[in-house]
Amino acid sequence: MRNPLPTLLGFLALGAAIFAGSFYVTRQVCVMRMENPADDLTWLRQEFRLSDSEMAHIRELHQGYMPKCAVMCARIAAKKQELEDTLLGATNVSPAAEQKLAELAALRAQCQAQMLQHFAEVSQAMPAEQGRRYLAEMQRLTLGSHEQIEQSMSDHTGHELHQH
Amino acid sequence: MNPATLIPMNQDRPNSEDEKLGRLLRESRATPPLPPRFQDDVWRRIEAAEAPRALKSPAWLDALAGWVLRPRLALAGVAALILAGAFLGARDGAELARRDSQAHYLAAVAPNTLR
Repeated sequence: MRNPLPTLLGFLALGAAIFAGSFYVTRQVCVMRMENPADDLTWLRQEFRLSDSEMAHIRELHQGYMPKCAVMCARIAAKKQELEDTLLGATNVSPAAEQKLAELAALRAQCQAQMLQHFAEVSQAMPAEQGRRYLAEMQRLTLGSHEQIEQSMSDHTGHELHQH
Repeated sequence: MNPATLIPMNQDRPNSEDEKLGRLLRESRATPPLPPRFQDDVWRRIEAAEAPRALKSPAWLDALAGWVLRPRLALAGVAALILAGAFLGARDGAELARRDSQAHYLAAVAPNTLR
């Protein structure tokens, strides 16, 4: 037999190509079949295995919440613009800027409270166990990022204080 | 004894009787014709014998190649690779779709300004 090494290597490369091709094609098909960009609620249906009637109720809640959310977002954006205008050219934080910051924080808090209220309502439209899981997941996803930042800041500050 | 009377054992002078005998012997022996491409074969054998040992594949490699390249086994291997790729691709695709859908929902109900 001639040297079989090139044949074996070729066979190995062919095998790798077949595996990779199969992997990527299946993954793409799976993503295309499972995703529905037109519907915001695809994740809820799939993740919490909701029935059609539960989905219909949640869809109503969602459609009722979206305009309120849009209004709050517009108010927050306007307040941010006011704050930027106040800070423009200033070398110090003026009382007016402090006032705008407080108003912005209040608006954000109001918006967050409204959002959490919506999550609570949606969770109540689900079976009890799924509802608890949904609420915990949404709180983790929306409030958890703040906690992480605050935790990292306090760790950092504590570390620096300890060094001094 | 007189050295001139000694008879040398090997005489260079050809004996006519010996020559005759030799001719008869050569004629009596039949020379078979050489097989076709005899010279090529001889040279090939010489080259193969002189080739460095490193170029020769080890026996286990030959055995492995012989085992792996059997059509039945090769076919089974290809089928196994396709199935494994499809299984892992489906698992990865499902996870990817789940994360994308979650991000889509989150972007709708909790804009970045609130997170």
